[in-house]
Amino acid sequence: MNDQFIPTPDALPVAWGWLQFLLLLTFPIHLLFMNAMLGSAGISMVQRFKGGEVNRRLAYFLAILLPLLVAFTVTFGVAPLLFVQVLYGQFFYTSSILMAAFWILIIPILILAYFGAYLYDFRFEKLGKAGGWVISIVFILFITIAYFLSNNMLLMTLPDKFSGYFQHMSGTMLASGHPTFLPRYLHMVIGAIAVGGLYTALITRLKSKSDPELAAYGEAVGMKVFNMFTIISILLGIWFLASQPKPVMMMFMGKNGLATGLFVLALILVVLMLVFSFRKKVLATTVVLTVLVYLMTFMRAFLRTGYLGKFFTLDQLKMASEYSPMVLFLVSLVAGIFVMVWMVKKAWQALTA
Amino acid sequence: MNFPVWYLPTIGGGFLIALIAVTHVFVSHFAVGGGLYLVYSEKKGLREQDPGILAFTKRHAKFFLLLTMVYGSITGVGIWFIVALVNPGGISLVIHNFVFGWATEWVFFILEISAAFIYFYTFGKMDDRTHVAIGWVYFISAWISLFLITGIIDFMLTPGTWLAHHNFWRGFFNPSFVPSVFFRTFIATMLAGAYGYLTASFTKEPAVKEIMTRFSGKWTLVSLILAIPSGLWYVAVLPTHAHNLVTGQSPTIASALRWGFWGAVGIMIITLIAGIAKPSWNLKPVAVLAFICGFLIVGSFEWTREAARRPFVVNEFMYSNEILKSDVPMLQEEGFLKTARWIRNRTITPENRSAAGRELFINQCYACHTIGGFNNDIIARTRSMSYTALAKYIGKIHKVRYFMPPFAGTPKEAQALAAFIAGDLNGKDVSEPKPSNAGNNSGKMLFEENCSSCHELADLAEKTAGWEQQKIRTALDKLNQLVKEMPPYDGTFAEKDQLVAFLYSLNHKEAVQPVVPSVDGKRVFEDHCSPCHASSDLAEKTAAWDRAKIRDALDKLNQLVEEMPPMEGTKAEKEDLADYLNSLKGGQK
Repeated sequence: MNDQFIPTPDALPVAWGWLQFLLLLTFPIHLLFMNAMLGSAGISMVQRFKGGEVNRRLAYFLAILLPLLVAFTVTFGVAPLLFVQVLYGQFFYTSSILMAAFWILIIPILILAYFGAYLYDFRFEKLGKAGGWVISIVFILFITIAYFLSNNMLLMTLPDKFSGYFQHMSGTMLASGHPTFLPRYLHMVIGAIAVGGLYTALITRLKSKSDPELAAYGEAVGMKVFNMFTIISILLGIWFLASQPKPVMMMFMGKNGLATGLFVLALILVVLMLVFSFRKKVLATTVVLTVLVYLMTFMRAFLRTGYLGKFFTLDQLKMASEYSPMVLFLVSLVAGIFVMVWMVKKAWQALTA
Repeated sequence: MNFPVWYLPTIGGGFLIALIAVTHVFVSHFAVGGGLYLVYSEKKGLREQDPGILAFTKRHAKFFLLLTMVYGSITGVGIWFIVALVNPGGISLVIHNFVFGWATEWVFFILEISAAFIYFYTFGKMDDRTHVAIGWVYFISAWISLFLITGIIDFMLTPGTWLAHHNFWRGFFNPSFVPSVFFRTFIATMLAGAYGYLTASFTKEPAVKEIMTRFSGKWTLVSLILAIPSGLWYVAVLPTHAHNLVTGQSPTIASALRWGFWGAVGIMIITLIAGIAKPSWNLKPVAVLAFICGFLIVGSFEWTREAARRPFVVNEFMYSNEILKSDVPMLQEEGFLKTARWIRNRTITPENRSAAGRELFINQCYACHTIGGFNNDIIARTRSMSYTALAKYIGKIHKVRYFMPPFAGTPKEAQALAAFIAGDLNGKDVSEPKPSNAGNNSGKMLFEENCSSCHELADLAEKTAGWEQQKIRTALDKLNQLVKEMPPYDGTFAEKDQLVAFLYSLNHKEAVQPVVPSVDGKRVFEDHCSPCHASSDLAEKTAAWDRAKIRDALDKLNQLVEEMPPMEGTKAEKEDLADYLNSLKGGQK
């Protein structure tokens, strides 16, 4: 196997299992925020164009929360991006450079989208119908970012393609021609819109006292979007699995016990989630969905090892054994959670008083 | 050499980093100091029970939220993105060594963002005491972020004992860490004052405007005064090379510091006069000027810190081009092309020499140099150097100019690189010089190899006009005493004599004929004529002339055309040039 174009990795400070644990712990949180952001932006857009009074109120309510979701999507993306660089830096940095011209575009696109989200929120009334176009642009910017992210996450698992560098030294290589790209991208985006629907149903419950009509409408629209897009997403997931190279696909079909077990469990939970969602049990659906997002993240990790296995496994990484900084992090994390809980509690009291 | 290079020859990665980093730092320091400003501004409003001040604070908080969240936080991620693309080896090193430092910073980043949102959205809806406490949570979290990032950034400048132990804590608590934390904290509060001053200039109520202008002016002034000693402390702890660069050896740093100095003077005058003494003078253009002054201070500081690290990305460990200092002897022995990863020309042949040189340029020079771009254009920097001079210069580049990394390759690779730069980029003859009695050590060649990277011939002629040979020789013996940033010239006695003779001949052609190597006319043409003339133009001009007329014209150029300078070449060079020009139009040599 030609591994000439795989850089030599740096040593890890702690055993790789810790970093993998932290990666798998934090990444689903980023996904959940991202899904809520993307999906609610789409729903707000449609509601704004529909033009009815309750539609406008729903669009505005989602608009108020959108900048917060952008901030938390980005913030919770930082940690997994950090841990993936430590574990897979030799692949990630390389693929990022191969598509650098697009990868760096994420930053100005994100600034524009974030600014657009604030504009849509702060000037909602003044913008009138034009607000629909503002949020449309924001939505398009979001799915463009997703397109570049999907590209990089796929490209980093394809070291066989790295020699293409010499034809793309200005950073213009993409992986979108790969047979698994389209189902992967669509599965992520359509899945995100589905979760955005569930988020809408959940978050509009905050209005159940002050604006019961909005709460009822939000739940109806949200669950309808969730059900519809979840079913499409399941079909896309099947396409995604079928598009995989046979050895990778077989990992989930009995060749790897843990991967297969996860897949089967995920399928059972999908059925359970749909039963809850069709019965409009929002909280139960949310709980099952959160577990499912974690399971899918674990399966995604298996997928990555399936692609990279012939070049590299995590246990090959050297370790420098320096655990005290990790203790600092864990202590800070616990203290941070306490402070966060206190702040959120105080904010809740202030805003609901 | 471990990672591929994102190659944008006319733009350069450094420019992209600077574009994102300088503006980010200007906002991110405000994000820290501004938190404290908001707390004290709100406390002032509460203490004085002044709804005007509280309204000002809320308005400022909205501006603060929009700027720091949208631009500050996203460009913070942007720096990470761009540095990983431009210097993946460097970022991989600091990510792997300090992953839990970054992870801890991430915890405080989340707290910071959450507190900022809660502070803004609960303004006037929460009890005062808790609201101020949320402001404190914001500021403390933001300051701890500054504390953590400073440790890692200053590790790159002064790694200290990390170099021997590779230990997290030794790297984090590095020699410049404490003064840097103090300096950045005061810069952050100074910027908070400048931003507050800007918001105050937009305030319509005269009383509130006056109170908050004076309040902001005091913030800025006190912070600036405290930043001065901490800045001097910061400089004092720098290692020798970095200290020398900051205190005058680097002309670019000296220029950056001048901008910073005038920025500091400007902001001091504005806050004293149009802030504290006469707050009513806080007009929008004045506030914008103060804002620009603050930007100059921050830009100057960040530029200086980055430049002081040169030629390293992690001082004394990894060079700017990602080559480890410890790998250089091996690369000079075995060759770069054989050992690097993203290379196609592994061995140099006459056919691929230029292509191999290009790969060497991309991997070793492009980290700092563009090709025909705004930033450190390699063409402009090497225009006056011939191929042979450049090949020798590359071999001792780090010795002559400390802030450039040593060439990590064999002499043959240095020649390939020189061939690419001199030949492909500057269009010069890159054939190996013909052996001659004079050898390569003539004064002219010595000048090209040792002086031409920094000095134009005409400048040195002007500088040494009226000097006797002895004076030139004495100067050559103590260059670094004459001008601090000049490296000493380490040629042999004989070489110094030849260089002296050449420099003396610039102003005394009749007295000295320095020994020069045999040169061909094309090279003389490139050196003397090509800056103004294309060879085709001269061929057309001399179409009806015979060789004798061409040769004669070379002795009286300024009589032929008034604005042309007389040709400074030797007799032999003029003969060669006449041959060459004659041959252009098909004449015989």
